[in-house]
This record gives sequence, C-alpha cells and structure tokens, in this order.
Amino acid sequence: MKRIPGSFSLLGGVIGAVLILLWVGADGYKQTLVTTTATYALIALGMYVPYLMAGSLSMAYGAYAGIGGYAVGLISSKSGLPLVVAWIVGPIVAAAVAVLLGLATRRLSGFFLAAVTLLFGMAFTAWLVDAEGISGGSAGLGSLRKLNLFGWQPDHYDVVVGSTVVVCVIAFLLDRLRMSPWGVIVRTMRDAPRAVEAAGVRVPVMNLVSLAVGAAIAAVGGGLFTYSAGSVTPDTFTLNLVFLAIFMPLIGGSATPWGAVLGAVIAVELTLNFPAVETSGTLILALGVLVILLVAPQGVIGYASRLTKLVGGRRG
Amino acid sequence: MAETLLVGSGLTKRYGGVTALQDVSFSLTAGEVLGLVGPNGAGKTTLVDLISGAQPATEGSLTLRGQRLAGPASRRAKAGLARTFQYPQLALELTVAENLLLGRVARRHGTVWQMIAGAFRGALRPYDKADTLAVAAIAEELGLDRLDRPAGDLSLGEQRLVEVGRALGQDPLVLLLDEPFAGSDAAGVTGISEVVRTVQRRGHAVILVDHNVDLVAGLVDRIMLLDRGQSVFDGSPRECLDSPQMQQVYFGVTETPDDAIEEVDRVGS
Amino acid sequence: MGQLQLWLSALEMGCFFGLLALAYYLVLVGAGFFNFAIGPYAMVGGLCTSYLVLYEEMNVWAAAAVAITAAAALAVVTELVVVRPVQRRSGGGELPALVAVAAVLFAIQQLAGYLFGYTTLPGQNVLTFEPVSVGDTVVQPSTLVLLAFTVVAFAGLAVWIRSTRTGRLLRAVGDSTHAARLLGLPVNRVRLIAFVLSGLLAGITGLLFAPKAGVSSLSGLSWALSGFLAMVVGGTGSVWAPLFGGLLLGAVEVFVPYYFGGQSHVYGLLIVALLFFALKPSGLFVRRVRA
Repeated sequence: MKRIPGSFSLLGGVIGAVLILLWVGADGYKQTLVTTTATYALIALGMYVPYLMAGSLSMAYGAYAGIGGYAVGLISSKSGLPLVVAWIVGPIVAAAVAVLLGLATRRLSGFFLAAVTLLFGMAFTAWLVDAEGISGGSAGLGSLRKLNLFGWQPDHYDVVVGSTVVVCVIAFLLDRLRMSPWGVIVRTMRDAPRAVEAAGVRVPVMNLVSLAVGAAIAAVGGGLFTYSAGSVTPDTFTLNLVFLAIFMPLIGGSATPWGAVLGAVIAVELTLNFPAVETSGTLILALGVLVILLVAPQGVIGYASRLTKLVGGRRG
Repeated sequence: MAETLLVGSGLTKRYGGVTALQDVSFSLTAGEVLGLVGPNGAGKTTLVDLISGAQPATEGSLTLRGQRLAGPASRRAKAGLARTFQYPQLALELTVAENLLLGRVARRHGTVWQMIAGAFRGALRPYDKADTLAVAAIAEELGLDRLDRPAGDLSLGEQRLVEVGRALGQDPLVLLLDEPFAGSDAAGVTGISEVVRTVQRRGHAVILVDHNVDLVAGLVDRIMLLDRGQSVFDGSPRECLDSPQMQQVYFGVTETPDDAIEEVDRVGS
Repeated sequence: MGQLQLWLSALEMGCFFGLLALAYYLVLVGAGFFNFAIGPYAMVGGLCTSYLVLYEEMNVWAAAAVAITAAAALAVVTELVVVRPVQRRSGGGELPALVAVAAVLFAIQQLAGYLFGYTTLPGQNVLTFEPVSVGDTVVQPSTLVLLAFTVVAFAGLAVWIRSTRTGRLLRAVGDSTHAARLLGLPVNRVRLIAFVLSGLLAGITGLLFAPKAGVSSLSGLSWALSGFLAMVVGGTGSVWAPLFGGLLLGAVEVFVPYYFGGQSHVYGLLIVALLFFALKPSGLFVRRVRA
C-alpha cells in the first residue's frame, strides 16, 4: 500500500508540468497555450465528477466556465474588492447554478439531460449578449485589474506556472476523492443507484452535490482563462470546448482524473499547435476520438497502467 | 419476551388493476430469522421492496422499534434496514473492497451537509484505517478473497456474497436478503448462513426470501408462506412443511432452484 | 411583417423541425436510439449541395444527388462503424452510446468544415418558379417545395410503416431487439434500413431548408437539438406525432422572438424543453424497462 494515496500519479503529473514549462520558456505564444491547456483541463476535470464518476453527462459546462470568467470580469470592473475574491464567488455561483439546473433536470438522464443542458448553455450565451448592462453585451468585459496577493503581483510567467500548479493540485485532490468513501458512493451511483439508495444515501441529492463540485472546478478554470487572456466575451467558452471536454478523458483515459489532464494537453496541441494541419487539427482529434472509442476505450493512461502492471507483474 | 423490531400491517401493492400484494401483516422480534417463502410471482420481492422503500406501498404501514417507517429507501436505511437484491446491484467496475465499503460509509453521507463535508474530507483523507479493517473482517467472515478484483469478474454466487457483505457493513437492525442462495455454491451458502447467524447473535433480525422451503427451513425460526400476493401461513418451519397450505401452494409447481439460476443468468446477461 | 407571413414562417420552420424529428423517429423506433447525428446529416445535405454548386459549378440536381447520397452514407457509417459496436459492447448502458454519438456529431461537423469551409453558404433552390402571392404575402418557391416534401415524406412513411413487411418489422425490432433476434427477424437489416432512410430524409430536409437562412458546418448542432426536441414533444405514438412536435416548436421559434425580440427563441426552446419534461416526468422518454 502506498503511503500517500495518489502520490504516484501526482509525481507523473508534476514531471509532465515541469517538462512543459521548460519547453515553454519565455515564448509568449507557448505560454498562452499552457494557460489554455490549464483551462481545458480544469473544465474537463470539472466534468469528470458528474460524467465519469456519477455517469450523467451534463453539457452546461461552457456556462459554468463562463460564470467563473465573468466573476473575474465583474469583480475587476464593477467592484473594489480584491480580484482573488472572484475565484471564491465564481465557483460558488457556478455551483449554485448547477444545483438549480440539476433540480430542474433531476428526472432526466442520458440524451434528455444532454439536450437540456446544451440548450441551457446556449441560452446562457444568448443572455450574456442580451444583458449588456451586466455582461457588457457581445463586446464582453476587458481591461482587467492585476491580481494582488497580499502585496505580491504575479507577472505573466507566474500566472502560467500558477495555472499548472492549480491543475496539478485539483487533479491530485480529485484522484484522491475518487478513491475515498465519497468517490465510492458516487461511482456506485453510476451502475447501481438502487444499491446506493438502499444503503442510506439519497441519490438525487448526492447527484446535485457532484454537479456542484464539478461546476465549481470548471468556474476556477474559466476565471483563470479570463485573467490570463485579459478579457471575456460570450464567445470565450464555446460549445466546441464542451465537446472537447467530453472527449479529453476518453483520449487520456477515464480511469483517473489525470487522464482528463493528459487529454487536455493532447487536445490543445492538436487543435492549436499543429502547424502542418492547421485547419484540420480538430478533425484529426474528432476522428481520433472515434477510433479510441471503438478500439481503445481505456485511453492512453489505461494502456500505460496496464503495461506497467504487466511489467511489474513479471518482475514480482 | 424479546423486543419487537419490525411490524408491518395491512401492506398492499396494486399496479393499476393488478394486485401484487394483498393485506400482508407480520411482526419480527429481535434475534429472529423469518423465512419468506412462496413460488415465483407470489409477491416476495414486492414485499421486500415495500419494506425497504424501493417502492411505495399502496396501503398499509410499517414501524421499526415503534417508530413509523416511511419515505424513500435511504431514510429507511438510516433507520436501520439493509437489503440485498434479487438481481445483484453492484458497481461492476469497482473492486470487491470498494463495493463492500459502500455499506459501511453510506450512513456517514446521509445528509446534505455530510455529503458536502464528505467531498472535502475524501479529497484530503481518502482512506481510513478502521474502514479498511472492517471491510477485511467482513470479507473474512464471508470467505471472500482477492478484494482488489473488479466485482464484474465475480461469479453470480460471489456477487451475492458481496451484496450480503455490503448490507452487513450497514450494521442493520433488520437485514432483508432477497434470494441470496440463487447461483451460490456450497461455500457461498455457508458464508451467507454465517452472516445470518452473526446478525442474529447481535440481537438483530433477518428476513430471508427464497422459493425453496427446504433450503431455508434449517436456517429460520419462522416461515411466512406467500401465495398470489397473500400470506397463507405463518409459523414454525416444521409446521409449515406439514401444513395443508404448503401442499396446496407447491402442488404441481415444477420449479427447481436450477431454473431460477438460469433465469437469473438470462436476465443478467 | 404581416400576421400571415409570420404564420407561414412558423409553418415552414415547423415542417423543417418535423422532418428532422421524423428522421429521429425512424432511428428511435427501429434501433431504440436517439441519433443526434441527424442534424449534421441535414447540414451535409445543405452545405455539400451549396458548395458543389457555388465552387464546383455543378448542376443543382447533380449536386443534390451527391449531397443526399453523402448524408445517407454517413448514416450507414454511423450505424455500422459506431453505434452497433458500441451498443454491443456496452450492453444496455446509455452513456457510451451518447458519447459515441456526440463524437460522430463533432466529427461530421469538423469534416464538413474541412471539406466545404467554415463560412455560411447560401442555400440552393432545386426548383425555380415565380413566387406565389397570397394577398399581400409572397410565398417563396423554396417554402412551397419544403411544404410539399413534408406532406410527401410523412404520408409516404406512414404508408411504408403500415403496409410493407419491413415497415411493420421496424417497431418489433426497436421494441425488443433481443426478442426479435430470437424470433429470427432480420434485426440488423431493419436497423440499417432505418438509418439509411433517416439519412436520406435528413439530407433532403437540410437541402430544402438551406435557402431560408443559409447553412454552415455549425448548423448541424442546433438542428440536431431542434429535431430532438420536436420528436420528444410530439412523442412516438404515431408517425405523424413528430410533425405536431415540429409545428409547435416552429411556432415558438417564430413567435417568441417576434414578441420578445432578440435571442429569446433560445429561452423559448429551453422553457419548452423544461416544461415538457417536467409535465411528462415519466411519460414518453423512460423507455428502459427493468426486469
């Protein structure tokens, strides 16, 4: 038994993050790629809880990330509060919205849930465009204040490093959460909800809690992206992004939250940093997802861990 | 006189015009094992569902230690009920240990605040030594080994054992076992009988459902015979086997446990 | 805009949604599965035609034939390569099929963008004749063709389902695939026919609707949602049910923005979906039956 559960994966994640940061260096474009990857990863990590643990696919994550983003924009432009408050308010509001939407859709599952949550995401975008007084309309909110953490003002590179740290910490905590009693209950809800109910946990309520946790994580990602990009508009968090976030854990491997992170790295690399196939990176990704679904449902990490088990088993 | 634990009175279940269960009453004292017997379709599982809260009763009421027992299954579980299912409800991708753990940790997540706090606690401290030991003890009692296997790799009989172990982890006042022997081998029957005795020793009660009277007769203190949704006999196993109702109910019934196993396999596949 | 014009517009939208819903209906009844890729099939029908006509200077009819064939071919690929293997592997689980169909939707969208470009192209008219005037309202040829096709498609499928052997088998296969297989019914063939028909139907529908507002590679997703909603609202009780759902949704799509302005039709659709699903909590859509 390992002494600290999840530390092995964390080590892998940290090594990966350090390698990425070394590769990035002072290159501004690559730095943007890293913050984008971190955002994608956080949205995928948020979805991980309800989608891969509890087995219900909500597609309103563009809205939750948007709430996190607009929290940063609004706190910056309409209040005198320290900017860091946005990362507390945003996730809480996103969690509350997720609970309300979850209550409205509590009887839905599968395709019905996906359709309604997609519509909600579209309606949220439409509302952002309409509500000019609050959201700044289609121009969005820009010219943000700088973060100030107890006198320390992080520069752009600090933000890049900080975002990878946040991703690693959240993936590590989620990995542990997955193994914990809470994770066992939520993962059992996916295949055997009746057993969970019969054991004394109200399944619909637990579902809402898992949705809230997921939305809060996605909102952290949305805030991060908005801060590093310097502005947020209704089109910042698109439906495309939500689709990509569904596929990321499949690419990386759905057995652990780190799979979602790895998937995010691959997705950003393919869609944004693959000059040879500039316009078709997303197409390659989409086709790749189909192939993975059909021939390799465990994703990259699933195969890697099977391989290590095989090697370790021979040695032992 | 032992304490009365569970009392059901006038339990009735109707689906549209079909009556699945008609005015069934019973009472269960501490340390008692009640066999619920009857042919397929007699209403045994319906009665278990009504008691556990998996389905609402059309009429009738239940009390546990004198307190009214009602509402969703989770509330009744918190009051002290645990059950297994006719078709095992396990998370097949989770390990045996994790499936066993569910029973023990569920009651710590009974309220909204506990669920929220549980998420934070889980991320900070995923494992608890006492839980691991308790799960190991239950597995030992049931004769289950290799707890890191996915539950989906187990045979039907082993899956039933895991379900029984999960229910035992809830430390219930009343344990409802719905056809626990279907698909079990000799070791499985021993393991489950062991659990029944354990619960009995703790002074708690068991309701054991099966359509095979001979199989349960040796384990139970009392048998209630159900036929077409009605309770037709309630008494000691010996009296039951000799009773005219028994002859009546099972006359011409060709079903054997093997049929049931096949049926389970078919539905499960 | 006159009242008549509004009603006409609602009717046109309604027919469009109804036809998409009919394509859903075929696959749902035949294969027990909500094929969200219907929207992208329709998008391919429209976008491929426009692209071939505008950039390859093809004849409209030839372009339409190519586009519709492509839509049907995509439907076949969806069934044979994706849905069938995933459903076989996952048993009754809904989530893998849902993720797979999301991947198909996304892939077709990207493929169409790669092949035909990411811009919105104007739709092409297959038939050109003088617009018809009704009072002070002018009815465009494209509208008339869409309405006529709606009548033909619904009537044709109603007759097909009622009076051909394959049509009658469709429901049997969808209701209980397992039982149908045991009875020796040609399950796979019937399912494939359902997919092909839905692909053809969606392709033609997209092509006929494209002149109304143009078509881009991203149109598929919202069309998929509208068609799905129309089918759920209508229900699966009869072949004509999708048309009722479509017409209701068409009215929402046209009248809500007329009275409330802006992008309110999106809110309208969301409210219809939530209301309908809330008022019919366990009606049409809980199809899973536990043993």
